[in-house]
Amino acid sequence: MVSVVLNTDVKQEDAGNAVVVAVTSRALFESGLEDDDAGVWKLSLAFPLLQAVQKVNDCLLEKNPAESLLLDVLLITTDSQHQKLSSLLISSTKHHGLGVGKFCFASEETFVDSLLENNVQLFLSTNKDEVQTASQKGVPSAMLEARKKDSSVSCQREDLRVWLDEDLISLRDSASEPGSRHSPQRFLAKLGEIRQRFSVSDSPLWISLVILHGSRENCGKRLKTLRSLGVSVDDVYCLAGAPSEPLLSVLQPHFRFNCCFMD
Amino acid sequence: MSANSGRTLTTSGQDLAKNGNSSNNKAPWKDAGTVLQPTTPTRKPQPVSISAAISPKPQNAITIAVSSRVLFNMEKEQQIFEQQGMEEYIKYQVAHETESFSPGPAFSFVKALEAVNAQLRELYPESEELFDVVLITNNHANVGLRLINTINHYQLVIERFCMTGGNSPIGYLKAYHTNLYLSADPDKVHEALEAGIAAATMFTPDKMTEVSETQLRVAFDGDAVLFSDESEQIYKAHGLDKFFEHEKAHENKPLDHGPLKGFLEVLGKLQKKFYAKGHRMDCPIRTYLVTARSAASSGARALKTLRSWGLEIDEALFLAGAPKGPMLEKIRPHIFFDDQMFHVEGAAEMGTVACHVPYGVAQRIGDKPHH
Repeated sequence: MVSVVLNTDVKQEDAGNAVVVAVTSRALFESGLEDDDAGVWKLSLAFPLLQAVQKVNDCLLEKNPAESLLLDVLLITTDSQHQKLSSLLISSTKHHGLGVGKFCFASEETFVDSLLENNVQLFLSTNKDEVQTASQKGVPSAMLEARKKDSSVSCQREDLRVWLDEDLISLRDSASEPGSRHSPQRFLAKLGEIRQRFSVSDSPLWISLVILHGSRENCGKRLKTLRSLGVSVDDVYCLAGAPSEPLLSVLQPHFRFNCCFMD
Repeated sequence: MSANSGRTLTTSGQDLAKNGNSSNNKAPWKDAGTVLQPTTPTRKPQPVSISAAISPKPQNAITIAVSSRVLFNMEKEQQIFEQQGMEEYIKYQVAHETESFSPGPAFSFVKALEAVNAQLRELYPESEELFDVVLITNNHANVGLRLINTINHYQLVIERFCMTGGNSPIGYLKAYHTNLYLSADPDKVHEALEAGIAAATMFTPDKMTEVSETQLRVAFDGDAVLFSDESEQIYKAHGLDKFFEHEKAHENKPLDHGPLKGFLEVLGKLQKKFYAKGHRMDCPIRTYLVTARSAASSGARALKTLRSWGLEIDEALFLAGAPKGPMLEKIRPHIFFDDQMFHVEGAAEMGTVACHVPYGVAQRIGDKPHH
């Protein structure tokens, strides 16, 4: 049984234009570890992401108080154990004052359907299998990155940092078509649109393109493809097979999104 | 010593050195036929097949990082950035995306590195001990296509690059084991040196003298470049004569190492690979020491120090305080490193691509000669 609950502490966004980003409960909370006094869960890996999303929304609204192209966060449970703990999840979320617009209580079997039903345009998890499953069923998905506290990148700490790549080894998103509601291209286009709301040097959203393999030809093509989708990336790295870990530790993205460029 | 002439190379902020006008569009090395030293190998370089050239792993390669403004001439664009700001600059770059930049001061150096690679590949086809030229710029990704188009136009073998969108490149330099970083921006060079990376600020010479197409030539100043600045401190405080005396007295005590010692070391390593295959006389890499030290007194300490490090230098030129420009004009190195702007300017005036290594006492006291 799947149910969606609205978070009454948070202003609900215009469903039409908002970009729904789903985050798993296991990524957001360290289960089993309760705060002594409040009886709520401690925050985990996804917390910096939520903060960064909040910052982007705040900046968008600052520029235009009537802005409807905002990031809408959906907290989703992806296993039956968490599914049963709905009230604890809701109270923990409210306790920490997190900008989660909706809760969705699903299980291993039902969560992908929930993602599709709720028009989720980006699904973030710390579980590789979940990311794979969701992606195969047509929901653009990515693994959340663990982040160091002391980043050497000069950007403000809370900017939302997105890493786009085209990891050739990972799965191909065969289920979705370019025009479909849930395609990676549509998510990228929305991301690009949000980025365009800000200037070159003053943006709470930072998009990096990383070409892991292949030549600079590859890189040129990808830049053009992204440009045609309306995505203007901030920085670009062509690694030509060099390991990506050093770059990862310098850039400290919140998540890495496989673009699945269609050639 | 000759006084500094009227032309100055600015080192502050984003300013670039004056650029020669027409010579940049011509490939100067094509006309190098008249300049033949006995040491220039006569073997033709192999054409570099781009599809076959796979980038070596960073830990195996000798990584040379160059910024966009030393690889290419971006003077016009730089002016737009300074006068009209970032948005206009990017707009301009994008509008001119299909137009290639003309070569910058590092261009001939990069071509020479490629020539050495071609010869190394011929002798050691399995080895990854090659130069890997990486473009590291804090340009915004929007300038990326124009840079890629230009690299394509000149068929440069640069497959790795970082366009950091404004962030400091230092993190990337460290992450990818950079052996040498060349930039037009002295602040970044400072940062790199502080982080322990060999780095130098490259200036555009007033004119580009022709350099060899087949033999890479690298010239180094000694004190505060290959060696520490310990002796130079004496020179600054007490003058040339005292400096000579002191050095003679301490002849057998090796100097401490300077920021570019490591780069000389990797060059030496590659040279030995050529020697091993019988190419000692016509080695495609040649190194020079161009120093104010005197052969009669202070020179010995420099040579003994190098020997104690197990390093060789092909030619040691002891100028005993004479200007370096004319000597460098004879040598025709692709690149020359010095810690004193006075020498960098002097070299550039006579057509040598000279780089400033902002290290040691010369930076603090000022680098005009003591007497």
